[in-house]
Amino acid sequence: MDDSQARKFQKDLNAGLVALVLLAVLERSTEDLYGYEIAKRLQRANEGEALFKEGTIYPVLRALAAAGLLTSRVVPSYAGPARRYYRITDEGRAMLGQWSQIWRQTRGFVDRFIEGTDS
Amino acid sequence: MSANAARSIDEYLKQLRSALADEDPALIQDALYDAEEYLRAEVASHPNRSEADVLELIASTYGAPEEVAAAYRDTEVKVKAALKTPAPPATAAPASGRLRRFFGVFMDTRAYTSLFYMLLTLATGIIYFTFVVTGLALSAGLAVLVIGIPFFLAFIGMARVLALAEGRLIEGTTGERMPRRPVHPGPPAGWLNRIGDMLKDVRTWTTLLYLLLMLPLGVLYFTIAVTGLTIGLRFALAPVVVLAGDFGWIPPEISSHVLEIDGASYGSPQSFIAALFCMVFGVVILALLLHAARGIARGHARLAKSLLVEPGA
Repeated sequence: MDDSQARKFQKDLNAGLVALVLLAVLERSTEDLYGYEIAKRLQRANEGEALFKEGTIYPVLRALAAAGLLTSRVVPSYAGPARRYYRITDEGRAMLGQWSQIWRQTRGFVDRFIEGTDS
Repeated sequence: MSANAARSIDEYLKQLRSALADEDPALIQDALYDAEEYLRAEVASHPNRSEADVLELIASTYGAPEEVAAAYRDTEVKVKAALKTPAPPATAAPASGRLRRFFGVFMDTRAYTSLFYMLLTLATGIIYFTFVVTGLALSAGLAVLVIGIPFFLAFIGMARVLALAEGRLIEGTTGERMPRRPVHPGPPAGWLNRIGDMLKDVRTWTTLLYLLLMLPLGVLYFTIAVTGLTIGLRFALAPVVVLAGDFGWIPPEISSHVLEIDGASYGSPQSFIAALFCMVFGVVILALLLHAARGIARGHARLAKSLLVEPGA
């Protein structure tokens, strides 16, 4: 079985989910996080095969910040380029609540058919 | 997955750059910046392993260059679509299409922001020019002293910050995609190496050239904008001036001339009908000015990109 189909399906699913997960991570965090830290938290949370590559979160972070759901500040670093630390805004929190609701509904709906509880 | 996995950060960045080769240079700069942040942090967090060892695992964590490139491409398309100002509705009647397109410029926010940018360039041009001339002169003068080296580094660093800020300003006013992250100077190295790299980097010189060019260009843009605005507005508001004159609201010491160039003057229309003709003329001038502003800003954005972003990108 060719797994390129599986990967494409995963990628399509991720299109909106990455943004939801990033908002959730930043909402739970007590401190501001920069790209690498966020990536590592996601990596720790998912054992085995990563659901998405960490390189894909940076453009999403930037898009979320551009939409006003995150704020950011730049802190110089010795290890490499200056790091951009992100924090969720009130608008982002509201959006996260809304998106979580949609996610729960979607999950319930899909599960009803996949798990066959509806039949 | 690429056949030859990157063995070093520089190699990975090079592969990422070639995977993004067809993209906007500003997007490439941002993507390289993000990748570098991640890769350097990853290498730094594994102090007992070599760079090559760490890089071996990168394809499965950060992603292979092609995957990362695809993610940037997708997100860029989505963000651009979301932020784009909606195109004005297509004109229904083809007969009046040309006229409507000509005057439709009054409804285009880009035209006004472009005009604003033109007015601003005189101020920014003076600041950039002074900064570069002072910086270069002091760098040359202080070169014989120890302080000359850090001074030169700080000067080039500031020039890059100015280039980034100018890019943000241009993107804000003209919509041309410009970098959102600065160029990273690379891994920590000795001062002399840093200076050597900066002197060899074409972009250092094109950035300074751009900052110098901004003075003459700024004077030109500012002059065009102010001249167009004053003439256009004076003509367009001619009926108001005539009415105000009739009511005796204009103090006699204020010249009633529409134009006064070196003593030659063109009097204000006395009748209201003539003033209405003037108004039409003024509105046309203003429309022409806005068209010119849009065109100049677009051309200028391209110039800025070719000098501030493309060399070495």
